[in-house]
Amino acid sequence: MSAYVLRRGLQAVVVLLGVSVIVFALVHVVPGDPIRVALGTRFDPDTYAALRERAGFDRPLVVQYVTWLGSALTGDLGVSFRSGQPVATTLLARLPATVALAVAALVVALVVAVPLGIVSALRSGSVWDHLASAFSQVGISVPDFWLAILLILLFSLTLGWLPSTGYVPLTEDPWQWLRHLVLPATAVGVVSGSVITRFVRSSVLESLSEDYTRTARAKGLREAVVVNRHVLRTALVPVVTVTGLQLAYLLGGVIIVEAIFAWPGLGRLAYQAVQARDYPVLQGAVLLFAVIFLLVNFLVDLLYAWLDPRITYS
Amino acid sequence: MSVAVAPQQPLVAEHRPRWREVLGVLLRNPLAVAAIVFLLLLLAAAVFGDALAPHDPTAASVRDRLQPPSTAHPFGTDELGRDIFSRVLVAASVSLQVGIIAVGIALTAGVTLGLLAGFYGGRSDDVIMRLMDMVFAFPAILLAIAVLAILGPGVRNAMIAIGIVFTPIFARVTRSRVLSVREEVYVRAARSIGASDLRLLATHVLPNVLAPIIVQASISLAFAILQEAALSFLGLGTQPPDPSWGRMLSEGRGFIQLAWWMAVFPGLAILLTVMSFNFLGDGLRDALDPRRAKALEGSRA
Repeated sequence: MSAYVLRRGLQAVVVLLGVSVIVFALVHVVPGDPIRVALGTRFDPDTYAALRERAGFDRPLVVQYVTWLGSALTGDLGVSFRSGQPVATTLLARLPATVALAVAALVVALVVAVPLGIVSALRSGSVWDHLASAFSQVGISVPDFWLAILLILLFSLTLGWLPSTGYVPLTEDPWQWLRHLVLPATAVGVVSGSVITRFVRSSVLESLSEDYTRTARAKGLREAVVVNRHVLRTALVPVVTVTGLQLAYLLGGVIIVEAIFAWPGLGRLAYQAVQARDYPVLQGAVLLFAVIFLLVNFLVDLLYAWLDPRITYS
Repeated sequence: MSVAVAPQQPLVAEHRPRWREVLGVLLRNPLAVAAIVFLLLLLAAAVFGDALAPHDPTAASVRDRLQPPSTAHPFGTDELGRDIFSRVLVAASVSLQVGIIAVGIALTAGVTLGLLAGFYGGRSDDVIMRLMDMVFAFPAILLAIAVLAILGPGVRNAMIAIGIVFTPIFARVTRSRVLSVREEVYVRAARSIGASDLRLLATHVLPNVLAPIIVQASISLAFAILQEAALSFLGLGTQPPDPSWGRMLSEGRGFIQLAWWMAVFPGLAILLTVMSFNFLGDGLRDALDPRRAKALEGSRA
């Protein structure tokens, strides 16, 4: 197991290094002088010289990359062209909102998907099965930003049950935090939920046709015991993988929904950085997203290997 | 004067019945048929949109602004009095174009890389696939946004950005099929009689790895159209005054309390198009499934 962990860890490090090169290159392939572009009409020679000096644009590219990577590893991602604040601080301040949204969306997804997937597999061809199939087909095709607008139209503007935008920190007022979280989490959770529903269904169906299930039935176990102890236990192992992947997707894929709900997360920050041409912030956000994605994937792989005894680590 | 030409014998006659069977299976799947019908209608809208549109999609008319759906304007009008139905119709062409070209880019690059990685293996495989992992490590929409931050907004750049984002999936799908196909008897036989690598790849490997690539292309078209809508929604894709579904949605969002139809109909167009490509992809997968194909061969024998 430890050799497997080491090998996967090394692979992740290699990919991460490559990712850092891509992220570094982001700023350097911008046509023209990125600082001049970023400053735009607010150009003044002093600010320009100071930012250029800080960014070290006069030195050779390789030196710049190594310096940048070195600083990044110690948590220094430079300063924002716009606010002058350290990028790392800005990113960290936005992280809780994004994590809260992603986790809440995953909860919405699992609450819908797991029961629906299981029932549709156990009662294949029933109304539930058709319902699950319709849900997953629509869910996988619906633009989450459109769903977000429809949810706002229905639950905020028409019924007035929930706030349409904004964010309240959990520490300030848990009830308001939850109320603000429901609509954005539903908008993104439905998409993940539809993916997981399909997966749970096919996984349970597969497990139902396995020999061990037939054996369990043949030795006269009650159906509930067969389903609980034999079918679901094995069927839900691969679901862990897809759930982990969905979490990684949710942590990085909620940019537009964050923008619509004025949610102060990383996605909205990245989008604002693009609009403001604030390259250090964009660079930092993209790097952080990639690191989170790789880390979650790595953990999911390990968890999967640990859960499924059939997987060998060699 | 017309010249009578004898019908040419197809060179790969043995492939024909199989494709006809694939089509047969596909056409027995009601969801796939519905999807094909919808996509053909959409294609007609994309090609003849300007002629089919009942109103000029860019003509503003202050008198008609924010009209709810009626017989004159089935999808209502927007804040400038433009007919939303005409705009949705004409925008189909942008969505389809971006989708098809972006997937074309991803398919060409990804399949080439996947063929090389799978066929040669070893170090080239390692380098190519690790590169693909790196691109895969970025959330799709964020990578597209970052590429557009560099290239600048616009439809053409959106196609390139989406093309880059979707390249790794084609490389992975192709490579994994090539790994099994390259060990097949017919490939080894062709190699033993001295066929060049290029010939092996073009005539023996590629045709036999096409099935999963076709399925992936259909599914990727669905996601490419979603991505284009998302990028246009953010103002990075299609630029005004050209109508695009994503842009119309973001414009409609500002008037949601006054005119729900402005945001509802463009979103519905996206949903139906994406769903159709997904249905088509699912239908193709069932029709091209090797196990199913074997069953068909068995029933034919």
